[in-house]
Amino acid sequence: MGAVVVEGLTKDFSGVTVLQHINLDIKEGEFFALLGPSGCGKTTTMRCIAGFEKPTSGRIKLGDQVVNDLAPNERNCGMVFQSYALFPHMNVFDNVAYSLNIKQLRKSNLFKKLGVYTRMFNSKLVKYPKEMKQKVMDVLAYVELTDHAHKLTSELSGGQQQRVALARALVMEPQVLLMDEPLSNLDQKLRHTMRNTIRKMQQDLKITTIFVTHDQEEAMSMADRVAVMKDGQILQIGTPTDLYSNPQSPFIADFVGTSNILPGTFLKHEAGITTVKIGNQEIKSVTKTDQQDVQVIIRPENIKVLEEASITDDNSFEGTIEVATYLGSTVRYEMKVGDYRLIADTIYESGHRILQEGYKVRLGVSPERVLLI
Amino acid sequence: MKRLKKHLTGIGIIKLLLYAFFILFLVIPLVAVFIVSFTNEPINFFGSFISMETMQTTIDQLKHATLDNFKSVFQNTRYLDALLNSLYLSFVVSIVVLLICVPIAYGIARTKLPFKKTISALCTIPLIVPTFISGYAFIIMFGRSGWVTYLYQALGGEGLFIDPYSLTGIAIVQIFFFFPYALWPMVAAFKVSDVSLEEASRNMGAKGWLTFCTVTFPLVIPGMLSTALVIFAVSFSDFGTPIVLAPTDLNLLVVQAYREIAGFYNWGGAAILTLIMIAVAGFVYWVQNFFFKGKNYDSVSGKPKQSKLNQNKLVTVPIAVFSGIVVLVPLLAMLTVFLQSIATTWGKDPLPKGYTLAHYKMIFTSSLGNIQNSIVLALGALVLSIIISVFVSYFVVRQQAVTLDFMTTVPLIVPGIAFGIALIQTFNVAPLQLTGTAAILIIAYSIRRLPYMVRSTVGTMKSIKADIEEAAISLGASTLTAAITIIGPLMIPGIAAGSLLVFITVIKETSISILMAPAEWAPMSLAIFQNILRAEYYSAAAMSIILVVLVLVLQAIANLFTRKQSD
Ligand SMILES: Nc1ncnc2c1ncn2[C@@H]1O[C@H](COP(=O)(O)OP(=O)(O)OP(=O)(O)O)[C@@H](O)[C@H]1O
Ligand SMILES: [Mg+2]
Repeated sequence: MGAVVVEGLTKDFSGVTVLQHINLDIKEGEFFALLGPSGCGKTTTMRCIAGFEKPTSGRIKLGDQVVNDLAPNERNCGMVFQSYALFPHMNVFDNVAYSLNIKQLRKSNLFKKLGVYTRMFNSKLVKYPKEMKQKVMDVLAYVELTDHAHKLTSELSGGQQQRVALARALVMEPQVLLMDEPLSNLDQKLRHTMRNTIRKMQQDLKITTIFVTHDQEEAMSMADRVAVMKDGQILQIGTPTDLYSNPQSPFIADFVGTSNILPGTFLKHEAGITTVKIGNQEIKSVTKTDQQDVQVIIRPENIKVLEEASITDDNSFEGTIEVATYLGSTVRYEMKVGDYRLIADTIYESGHRILQEGYKVRLGVSPERVLLI
Repeated sequence: MKRLKKHLTGIGIIKLLLYAFFILFLVIPLVAVFIVSFTNEPINFFGSFISMETMQTTIDQLKHATLDNFKSVFQNTRYLDALLNSLYLSFVVSIVVLLICVPIAYGIARTKLPFKKTISALCTIPLIVPTFISGYAFIIMFGRSGWVTYLYQALGGEGLFIDPYSLTGIAIVQIFFFFPYALWPMVAAFKVSDVSLEEASRNMGAKGWLTFCTVTFPLVIPGMLSTALVIFAVSFSDFGTPIVLAPTDLNLLVVQAYREIAGFYNWGGAAILTLIMIAVAGFVYWVQNFFFKGKNYDSVSGKPKQSKLNQNKLVTVPIAVFSGIVVLVPLLAMLTVFLQSIATTWGKDPLPKGYTLAHYKMIFTSSLGNIQNSIVLALGALVLSIIISVFVSYFVVRQQAVTLDFMTTVPLIVPGIAFGIALIQTFNVAPLQLTGTAAILIIAYSIRRLPYMVRSTVGTMKSIKADIEEAAISLGASTLTAAITIIGPLMIPGIAAGSLLVFITVIKETSISILMAPAEWAPMSLAIFQNILRAEYYSAAAMSIILVVLVLVLQAIANLFTRKQSD
């Protein structure tokens, strides 16, 4: 029984189908990423879960409750928006206390209600109850914003604003935390720090989290499981390593990490080894297939690049270096092999020289590392 | 039933209430006017729903509907004259205003005009003064015992220089007090019109004035026509000037409609005149939107290129003299009112005999109520229009409520006197007898000014991103709570700017006040009007000055606000 279950979710916008039969089963405490290119429907999926869009068909369950007919303010979904959507007329403290105020509003009689409204309008006029103040300060301490509690949100840096948005969603102890590209407005370095912050927080609090992103690195480094979407459909759901080593389509192979994808034709299958023809070369793989036309997928780091013909692998080809890029710990070679181009990443060891353009090399790939789709 | 329940959330109820408000106080009155133009007597619209008897009466009335009133437009010379005179007046006024404004606007926008700042500042005076006060000022200047008449006769003239109580008098007042409406848009047009084209023309050897006639001027013609239509509409629906100046034998639509209802209780006649007014104003509005949308001066965007200002004294000095004369007339008019307000007696002399503050003292002892009424009514209208416009702009921006959007533009084409007549006809009997109450007065004021307020709040609403509201909702707030706690506070600047404007215009409002205000709720404008009718010119003058000062002060505050906002 999952914490968030989506069954057959379909969404039309005035006749145009944007989501097609989406199925998700997200476990309690899981960090789940929705990954896909721009416009594939990630935000729409999330907005359906939050209740801001009404599904055309399909069911959405939070815990064991079907929430299709529940208003968004009754779903207890914490949301972190791409733009943060902080309330510009309130300071950090009041922003974070918002959901607590709302909760109190619901429980109060008319007279008390007026008090809460006044406080939300200007928190200097009506004081916060002690336990409420404590709770807000605890959350602020957690995101390391204690010193900024009484600043206006416009006086904060991007990263700090991000943390206010996070704190504001956390303080309501949501059943699910929904985050829509929360890091896309931050610069490169801050993005890395915030990745760790969010991941750590999620593990500390064990809060079920759905994280929307179009950055595969972000999804792969943070999430327990990733769902890859394209054109309103889910292509594959799996752990990051699963997606990486067993992509079920060339799209995923390409989208998740870098891949060499080559068209091949089936030749034969003998003793657990499939032989496929690419152009006029043959290549062996351990993958079984019953198709005539296959896509051959090789990850760049699985290609060995050697100067001499000392390859013992089953698969070995000749190639010519076209571009060499030094990336710090690795060197990326783009090479011409027959009619095709291949990319190979090799570990750079100090002292070794980088092979230059025009250099003839031998390449080797073990059949275990050749994937056929 | 379930669907109905779903829509009955807090915010849904408010939307329903808004629709109810507009239907009750805008749609039904306008429809009622239409019906009354056939039945010739007011029908009890609301009564028909609660009493069978009334319903029967209404049905009988409808059975006896005739086209007599429509025929009478073409047969009754009173009505036909009124229409023709009104059209003629507005036509002349808009043409003359255009002719006056072209040189002044060119002078301000494109030349090193001497005293440019002073002239510009004086151009705002006419906008502050309600037109019936301007009309009244002309009486005490050009009337039998006016100082202009004195000068004219001293110089050998006979009779009156200009008879203020005539179509000419009305036209002159409107020209001198409406020209700023056209001037500022035109200045903007001259500033942004393509300077490089002019330079090209000059390079090809064209002389300065030739460039003006062949390039500069033609470029601003579409905008000018559009402005002329605005002036036409303003003049056509102006009630203040004609009601003070029109002699009994001069028929104008606004005056005639007022006389039909206030003098003869001729419901059918008032209704048909109201329909004609709305039709003409609506037609002008439609033409303006249809042909000139996007061609208005203020919609010309882009940075004005810095053009060389014309320094030719042969051009600037005559323009300065001309502009000076134009702005001097309203200034002298107001000074005259001021002198009258502090005069002991002022007969047929260039200056009063002596000076006193007695008239002011009298106002502050006996007429304080009118000032209070004005302020209370304006405050009431202010609160009502804030509430309505905030929610309307919410629905218009967030839920694309096209109907509501349309409803708030309807008051733009209904002249004040027409709207007043419509309301009186609809609400003059039980069960909804509101005529003569402060409530209907406040409602009328707010609906009249709603288009301006809504324009201001819609702008602010658009600048509030939808995800801020969604954030509040995801944190547990209902749509209504989010509106109160988030949207409302964020809209305060937009509301503040719009509301001062509403307050000012309500204080200046003439037609609704004169037509609808009961004695115990008489605002300043009605008091002044009655003083003028009773020829109590001194207290009318003092009250006018107080009104103008009040408006000036508020206007200054409003300017302060808008400046802060644009910082
Ligand atoms: N309110 C709407 N009305 C009509 N079409 C919409 C609406 N909202 C989204 N769409 C369409 O649905 C598709 C998916 O949109 P969505 O915002 O879910 O994409 P996304 O995956 O979040 O993209 P991005 O990474 O750019 O944010 C898009 O083609 C978009 O144009
Ligand atoms: Mg998105």
